[in-house]
Amino acid sequence: MFDSVEDVQQRFRRASYIASRRIATVVFLAARMGRPVLIEGPAGVGKTELAKTLADITSRPLIRLQCYEGLDEGKALYEWKYAKQLLYTQLLRERIGELIADAPSLPDAVAKIAGQDDAFFSHRFLSARPLLMAIEADRPSVLLVDEIDKAEPEFEAFLLEVLSDFQVSVPELGTIKAKHIPLVVLTSNNARELSDGLKRRCLHLFIDFPAPAEELEIIRLKVPEISSQLATAVVHAVEKIRAMDLRKPPSVSESLDWARSLVILNARTLDAALVESTLTMLVKYEKDLERVKGALDKVLAT
Amino acid sequence: MDQRILEFIGDLRRAEIRISPSEALDALGATAEVGFTDRETFKSTLAATLIKEARDEETFDRIFNLYFLDLEALGEGLKKALGPQDPAVQALLDSLAGEEDLDLDEMTELLLQGQGSEMEMAIRGRSQGAGLERLMYFLQVGHFSRRIYDRFDWSAIERDLEKIMKMLEQRGLDPGQLARIRNYMELRLEAFRRMIRQHVERELERQAWRQGEKLTREVLAEKPLFALTPEEVAQMKSVVARLARKIKDALALRQRQERKGRIDSRRTIRKSLQYGGIPMEVMLRRRHREKPKLITICDVSDSVRNASRFMLQLVWSLQECFSRVRSYAFVSEIAEVTQAFNSLPVERAIEWALKGAPIDYHCRSDFGYAFNRFVRTELDTLDKKTTILVLGDARNNYNDPQAWTLRLIRERVKGVIWLNPEGQWGWGVGDSVMPLYAPSCDFVKECRTIGQLAEVVDNLVHHWWRRGR
Repeated sequence: MFDSVEDVQQRFRRASYIASRRIATVVFLAARMGRPVLIEGPAGVGKTELAKTLADITSRPLIRLQCYEGLDEGKALYEWKYAKQLLYTQLLRERIGELIADAPSLPDAVAKIAGQDDAFFSHRFLSARPLLMAIEADRPSVLLVDEIDKAEPEFEAFLLEVLSDFQVSVPELGTIKAKHIPLVVLTSNNARELSDGLKRRCLHLFIDFPAPAEELEIIRLKVPEISSQLATAVVHAVEKIRAMDLRKPPSVSESLDWARSLVILNARTLDAALVESTLTMLVKYEKDLERVKGALDKVLAT
Repeated sequence: MDQRILEFIGDLRRAEIRISPSEALDALGATAEVGFTDRETFKSTLAATLIKEARDEETFDRIFNLYFLDLEALGEGLKKALGPQDPAVQALLDSLAGEEDLDLDEMTELLLQGQGSEMEMAIRGRSQGAGLERLMYFLQVGHFSRRIYDRFDWSAIERDLEKIMKMLEQRGLDPGQLARIRNYMELRLEAFRRMIRQHVERELERQAWRQGEKLTREVLAEKPLFALTPEEVAQMKSVVARLARKIKDALALRQRQERKGRIDSRRTIRKSLQYGGIPMEVMLRRRHREKPKLITICDVSDSVRNASRFMLQLVWSLQECFSRVRSYAFVSEIAEVTQAFNSLPVERAIEWALKGAPIDYHCRSDFGYAFNRFVRTELDTLDKKTTILVLGDARNNYNDPQAWTLRLIRERVKGVIWLNPEGQWGWGVGDSVMPLYAPSCDFVKECRTIGQLAEVVDNLVHHWWRRGR
């Protein structure tokens, strides 16, 4: 899939994603070793984006499983379409009646219906959820398990099982084995500690806020209209704001939004009034806003 | 190289980073995939396979740098040590070394022409078996450097150098040029000696670090809380945070397990309407586990301040495990400090509770008076869902203990737990009135170290209210 770490780096770059050496190495290893990657880091540094880009450059379909509290196997793996099964039995009532018409006794009738089990417990009535989709897919895919930390630890254990042998057993159908091992990317915002088992199984990648030079590159790549002078000023200001003790420091996606809005406003340089009026793009909490506004001169100082 | 990586993993483990055998295997397999040519890639590979917690990265970086030298940087260092290179002399030496009839010792060639990395490898080779593992103090650096130095065959090298000089003389170089060459060779030798010393110093750092790190962690968990230095208090904060996370995780697991229960007929029938009245999905009545209300009453006088600090940190980090937490601080006057925790981050709130609450911090502890005030103002707010956690050494400075106050409190609440940061041997000795309060408590626990504190809070979260439900 990839020839070398440099190859990974270049292809990500072509897809407008700046991958550091570290990121590229881990992606390369994941592809080579067939291991899931667990990405941790603050919100908005491009964790999900990494998976999307990966799917993009390997031209594989992206299958996404968004985790949330209360997510269970049924919603992640598969479910029987009860309603459809029921509807079909209703519609086929007469056919079923015919089928058992000549049964001499009740046990015989039951046996006859049981013989038709397969008709109702078949793929037709199985609704595949992301995990089963990734396993059944005809071509290799990228499976993104987003925000795994939001799901319960119990689900994690189940996921670990699936990720270690890439096969699922559906009692009525038997075991379904993966035709292709998907590239698996898990992301976590560290809302809680993940289990050791899962971590052991995965390659671990921690993505932090990028260094100023890297962020500058990202902004120039994603917002090509921006002048280099303004881009530098933006990176500089964002770096200063991150250094403040805020409840939620601005992420890369937010600084991108800010840069875009500055371009739309036709700004050439940053000044206090402009920053103050567009600050909501960057800082999302009332208290944080006040703090940054109070220290604007420091933010803009060069 | 694999050997070196395994040694490295051993050191990470010694620094309390948990690495399973499968992870170690992964690391070996992965490094084989990427090769060893690029240091940055190599490092990322090891980090990705071995380090699974962001907080361990710093440790990893440190040990990595001790193990896997940046050879390029080392070469730069050597160049600096040599001073401005003398290209003419170097070229002359190079051409000399190339001549067949000279027959130089390998080491001499290395000394005259080698790169920093090659020299470092030579030093490493010779230092094996030099007993470096016994290196413990800085004073030994000289001794071990000498030892490694002596393992090279210096007589052969000197002979070679003389041979070179003689040969140059025969070729008719003038004394000025000869001196310049001699000087250059001296410089290289000196640089090589310095490299040996640096190698030993690095080794010392590695050993010392190994010992030190392990010691601090072990000691911290077992060290009496009152004896902590300010730095240790800071380190301890992260230990407590880790504990809190652990307790919380276990709780989440347990709550899930409790989802089994009796059939909830109302919801089952409601759901069955989707399927024409057939109860396809059975809904269960979830047993609601009532979270306890918790009131902590902390002695914040000097002697037990650290214990109070960590207890508060632990309890407030576990806020969501309780339906309500309220905290009081006292020395003799008592005041509620809950409001600080509601408006400030835990860290700052604790500082405030320990220093800024409206009580006199400099008087002598008086438990009796504090409980008395508490009974007067708060007794009506207590109920059977509340658990009271008292932290104090029960050293009452011979004041009236007013044990009846605690009895009165006990009658109103679900339970009273007393944490005593003083060893059990001291209870009841001198001005300790622990035996007078103990009968009103469900249990009294010694809580001298962070380990003991964690045990109590863990029990509190997980088992305490199962009883008597």
